[in-house]
Amino acid sequence: MAGNVKSMGAFALTPHKVALCALMQMYVPSAENAVPTPFPSVSEHNCLGLFLLSLAKSCDNVLEPNLDKLVTQLKEIGGLVNQWISQDLTCRLSSLSTPDDLFNLFSGLQSVLGGNGARFGLDDSILLDPNSQLGIFVRRCILAFNQLSFEGVCHLLTNIGTYCKESPASCSTYQSLQDDDFDNDSEELKAFDHLLFGKIIADSKVLSGLNHDKERYFDVSSSNDGLGTDDYSGSLFLRTNWQVQGYLREQADLIEKHGSSYPFNAFESILNRLKKLAPELHRVHYLRYLNTLYHDDYLASSENLLRYFDYSAGAEGIDIALSSFPGMSFGRYEIALLCLGMMHCHFGHPKQALEVLSEAVQVSQQHNDDTCLSYTLATICNLLSEIGILNASGMIGSSSMVAATFGSSLSIQQQLLVLLTRSLKRAESLKLTRLVAANHLAMAKFDLTHVKRPLLSFGPKSSLNLKTCPSNVLKELRLSSYLLSEFGSDGAPLTIDGAFSTTWLKNLKKPMASSIFLHENELGSRNNTFQYDAQPSPIHGSVLHLAGSSYLLRATAWELYGSAPLARMNALVNVTCFADASSSADVELGYVKLIQSLAIFKGYTEAFNALKVAEDKFISVSKSRIQILKLQLLHDHALHQGNLKLAQRVCDELGVLASSVTGVDMELKADACLRHARTLLSANQYGQAAAAARSLFFMCHKFNLQVVNATTLLLFAEIHKRSGSAVLGLPYALASLSFCQSFNLDLLEATATLTLAELWLSLGSDHAKRALTLVNRALPIIFGHGGLELCSRAYMTVAKCYLSDPSFSVYDDPEIVLDPLRQASEELEVLEFHELAAEAFYLKAMVFNKLGRLEERDEVAASFKKHIILLEEDRIYFSVTC
Amino acid sequence: MVSKESCRSELRTAIHQLNDRCLHSASRWAAEQLVGIEQDPAKFTPSHTRFQRGSSSIRRRFGPSDLPSTPVGGALYVATPVHEEDDSADNDFYLLAKAYFDCKEYRRAAHVLRDQTGKNAFFLRCYALYLAGEKRKEEESIELEGPLGKCDAVNRELTSLENELSKQWKNETIDPFGLYLYGIVLKERGREDLARTVLVESVNSYPWNWSAWSELQSLCSTIDILNGLGLKNHWMKDFFLGCAYQELRMHNESLSKYEYLQGIFRFSNHIQAQIAKAQYSLREFEEVEVIFEELLRNDPYRVEDMDMYSNVLYAKEVFPALSYLAHRVFMTDKYRPESCCIIGNYYSLKGQHEKSVMYFRRALKLNKNYLSAWTLMGHEYVEMKNTPAAVDAYRRAVDINSCDYRAWYGLGQAYEMMCMPYYALYYFRKSVYLQPNDSRLWIAMAQCYETEQLHMLEDAIKCYKRAANCNDREAIALPRLAKLHSELGRLEEAAYYYKKDLERMEAEEREGPNILEALMFLATYCRSQKKFEEAEVYCTRLLDYKGPEKEIAKSLLRGMRTSQSGLTSTEAEHFPP
Repeated sequence: MAGNVKSMGAFALTPHKVALCALMQMYVPSAENAVPTPFPSVSEHNCLGLFLLSLAKSCDNVLEPNLDKLVTQLKEIGGLVNQWISQDLTCRLSSLSTPDDLFNLFSGLQSVLGGNGARFGLDDSILLDPNSQLGIFVRRCILAFNQLSFEGVCHLLTNIGTYCKESPASCSTYQSLQDDDFDNDSEELKAFDHLLFGKIIADSKVLSGLNHDKERYFDVSSSNDGLGTDDYSGSLFLRTNWQVQGYLREQADLIEKHGSSYPFNAFESILNRLKKLAPELHRVHYLRYLNTLYHDDYLASSENLLRYFDYSAGAEGIDIALSSFPGMSFGRYEIALLCLGMMHCHFGHPKQALEVLSEAVQVSQQHNDDTCLSYTLATICNLLSEIGILNASGMIGSSSMVAATFGSSLSIQQQLLVLLTRSLKRAESLKLTRLVAANHLAMAKFDLTHVKRPLLSFGPKSSLNLKTCPSNVLKELRLSSYLLSEFGSDGAPLTIDGAFSTTWLKNLKKPMASSIFLHENELGSRNNTFQYDAQPSPIHGSVLHLAGSSYLLRATAWELYGSAPLARMNALVNVTCFADASSSADVELGYVKLIQSLAIFKGYTEAFNALKVAEDKFISVSKSRIQILKLQLLHDHALHQGNLKLAQRVCDELGVLASSVTGVDMELKADACLRHARTLLSANQYGQAAAAARSLFFMCHKFNLQVVNATTLLLFAEIHKRSGSAVLGLPYALASLSFCQSFNLDLLEATATLTLAELWLSLGSDHAKRALTLVNRALPIIFGHGGLELCSRAYMTVAKCYLSDPSFSVYDDPEIVLDPLRQASEELEVLEFHELAAEAFYLKAMVFNKLGRLEERDEVAASFKKHIILLEEDRIYFSVTC
Repeated sequence: MVSKESCRSELRTAIHQLNDRCLHSASRWAAEQLVGIEQDPAKFTPSHTRFQRGSSSIRRRFGPSDLPSTPVGGALYVATPVHEEDDSADNDFYLLAKAYFDCKEYRRAAHVLRDQTGKNAFFLRCYALYLAGEKRKEEESIELEGPLGKCDAVNRELTSLENELSKQWKNETIDPFGLYLYGIVLKERGREDLARTVLVESVNSYPWNWSAWSELQSLCSTIDILNGLGLKNHWMKDFFLGCAYQELRMHNESLSKYEYLQGIFRFSNHIQAQIAKAQYSLREFEEVEVIFEELLRNDPYRVEDMDMYSNVLYAKEVFPALSYLAHRVFMTDKYRPESCCIIGNYYSLKGQHEKSVMYFRRALKLNKNYLSAWTLMGHEYVEMKNTPAAVDAYRRAVDINSCDYRAWYGLGQAYEMMCMPYYALYYFRKSVYLQPNDSRLWIAMAQCYETEQLHMLEDAIKCYKRAANCNDREAIALPRLAKLHSELGRLEEAAYYYKKDLERMEAEEREGPNILEALMFLATYCRSQKKFEEAEVYCTRLLDYKGPEKEIAKSLLRGMRTSQSGLTSTEAEHFPP
């Protein structure tokens, strides 16, 4: 900025503008007829006028068309007259051979402008109103010419010479000279052209409200370029600064959406070219940063980020303001800090990220940048919830700022909550709608998994109002989506507000701030017909993204609550409606959820098929959740089949994934532990299983993972049940039950009830009645929302209850037992759950035996044998290797 | 060692050849070195000179076959035949073209040579065209845009020149001078690898063209590239290596090269200036000053490298000398970037930063890639508290040459001024990486770590340690180390550093509050460690100073004496003799 003598928006006279001036002269001839001589009709005259108007409006361009292109467009808009005009234009331009010709041209241009109304009424000659768009353009040109030094005039003359020469004939020789150097580039350049022109085509559709002629004009320009004229040097059509910026912004969105699958090198070369053409456009550095960021090049991305902010001081185009008031403005370097912090988040350097972000807090406080402050706070929240709690505990203390703000006595979750509420309040008071929405989402996420009040005494109490209830979560979510719709209807003022909002909108996760600075610029060009409209839908992409992730959260809420259909529905909504707007990570999560529900309801074969599809789709996404899902599915499958060795191996792999370099993912770690305990239980290693469950329980207690705690308690009950000490299992089942009740975990509650019933049942036939009542109570939820395994277990329990009830006789109503058993065995076969299936077939065989239906008995017994053999094979293998 | 005689004769021939081809700056360089060779008084007899002159004319007449230009250590040095002459040099058209060229009428010169076929004529025509293009480019870049902004003016002759030269190169009809020109063209076209190959070819077949060497040097950005060049041995290679080492910041290696060369070229101003440059990078300001004073005595109208001298004078705050230098270069040639830079330095020292910025801007207008001007302008903006402008200026410097540690340091400083210490660390790290032996950089980084915001004292300690190990002139690191250690409760280390600091201050005979602090700490520390004798020494030294410390020392002494007597008495009771 210090060195920039010339401001960005300076009006420089170019050959293209001279050509326009020449056209103006033809448009306004000195003849005194109503319709100037060469034009057959008024409408054709107007046609040219409109064409000129549109060109004049887009004169703040980065690149200009060559004469050839201009002539083609001219020919297309009008009939013969324009043919004549274009010939005349070429003639006039090529006859400009001395500086004096130029002087004459511009002094002649003066006569095109009307005076102060004096000459208007008198004769019929058409003159330009000096205050009209065209008039202003002509006046600017004249002024610019008058200000030119002689050197400037000479330059203009040489440029006009090349401008005229760049017709197809001479172009080819030019090309041949350049060929060897630009061979590599040309492909990409074509792609570049194509990208930009594709955009203009899209524009023309958007702007369909405009009049016919203009639309045709658009089509002309785009179709011409679509053919890909080979000379790159002058072929790029008019693109205003805003258009290029819009292009860059769109690319930024694309990069963020596609992540590492975005073509790196092609875009890099485009950026290089852009940089050469428009050196003041510092945003190129920013795009380069994004590009390298998503291709995991740490050094290059930090280099580019810092370079961008060094040059732009946090605001594009700050140069002019700064050089006129040296020392007065500061620049918005806090944004640089925010972006750097997000970059560290992305690369998994939580410690550095926290340092940088706390610095950002300080700097933005110092400079009263409330907007940046609230964004920074929200980013810190995001960081805290992202990195494992294990990591953070040691870390927060080290950063004096954060520690000082919250007092180190608070636990991480409490700090997070404090921060969240604070950031939410701040965002609300600043009316940063998108941030508020995002914060609501974060809050809902927090509510989902955390108890809001620290548990002083352990154990469920009715006074504990946990917010795991979907209705509460949904309330937060609704608040956010309400805000989103508000945003959609009233975007303009908010875009300024949410200066660097995009960052955000990626589920508070992806470092980016692309739309940040553009909005301001774009507002200035609102009335520009050539405005580059990167967003064809009225709602901004980032808003859609936010809405999409709210659906994912809903799905999770329902999942926890236990309503599988609703969860599936929400995930489906996310995947189908928001796939375009969401980041690939979000879409991936949606797929994961759908596949999970497939596995639970349709069995593993289908789930694995779906998984294969998903794997192909998300092959390029780093930190893949699909990988985790695959392991989880494999584990479940192995466990059901009784292939314990595989189960154990998969389980270990999961454990490794849980503690990555970035930090420990507590959820995944808990999941891995739980699976480990289950595997041991299946191998009938009760002692070890109990030990594993105990350590898991302690861990969950320590880190307040309440939801997992309920599951762990249930696991204890299960272990006791299987080990034959049902009495000891009862209190665990009851504890889990009340936990579930207070946490609104309805499906888990039903499962606990079922386990309780099983426990009672195993205490002896006296308790069969009680067990049956319990099961019956849980049945509606289980059948409505439970998966295959749960349903079949419920069926089995029902049958067993009847069978062990001494007052029940099979002969009275065999179907009351056989029906659930049949159901159970069918579902278990789908699930390939050998152990339970064998049991079901065994019971069935016994019943048939009692009933004397020997043929059916034998058939069922054969199935029993099959499952038992399959099971034994695996189990023996396991115990040998163990 | 190469003999002086052979160098001399080689250079003499080279100067003629270079002059014939209008390679003026290379011939200037060669002439400077020629004069720089020490005259051996014993051999300096008329007969000797006659013999020398005669021999060179004989050589020219007999052609390249029997040219014994091989120096004494022939085994080491490759014999490089003196370049074959071309008759076209005597052509009338060539003479006219050369005259035009000397009058800077490049296009005219090229036009005259349009139909000439000789090698010299071909070279001169291409060279004239190239220079004409360069001249136009310079003019255009001024006309088109403010010279500080970027500008896409190109030398329009490059494409045709490249075509022509590459054709010759492929036919192997090109001479070393053509290769040199081809190398330049390739470099400007961005084909650096090929340019390097071509330039190496050129210097291997004709080593006396210093311009080719310096173009080659600018293409050697890493030591690996430098080592992989495949250069033939020749004494000119030593000049090249000295220069290249310097650019790669291997100052000691470069210094030793130059010192070796000084054995032959004892009076060479060039070598002296280069040695000064290396010494300057090693921050040996006194020596640099001496060298430059001598240089100016021998060559009072020299402007080259004088900006470095002004930097030294600036650092030493010698107002009169700096103003004298500024006046002198101003009178010599005011439109040299170096002159403007010196004047800018002078105003900066005077505290008139606006004026100083104006002169740096002028320097940049004259040469927009003038690295140190960007950096110095950044410093000025920092002084004017215009940090964004400073950041911009520094960043431009860094983008011109990413090895400029001063600019990285400036960027760090600017961000630190804006209370962004963590952000600044990145830049300090960069600068420290480039210049690991500069204590100031380490101290700046340590101070960054020490700020209240970061408070990363362990890292600060590490940095101070590095600073203390690399000749910390201002003696900041040691007291800070001691203080940090004592703050962290590591008294033993603290005592160690206080002692070291004290020793240093004694050695340099410096006084200051640091002494008091060190003495106080050591006195109390030794007392707590029950080293009463040592403690007494420190206390008595404290008594020499005025102020509260004196009183404290007194009371300490008193307390020690009483406890000591008590201790001895109890000891006496416990261990009866």
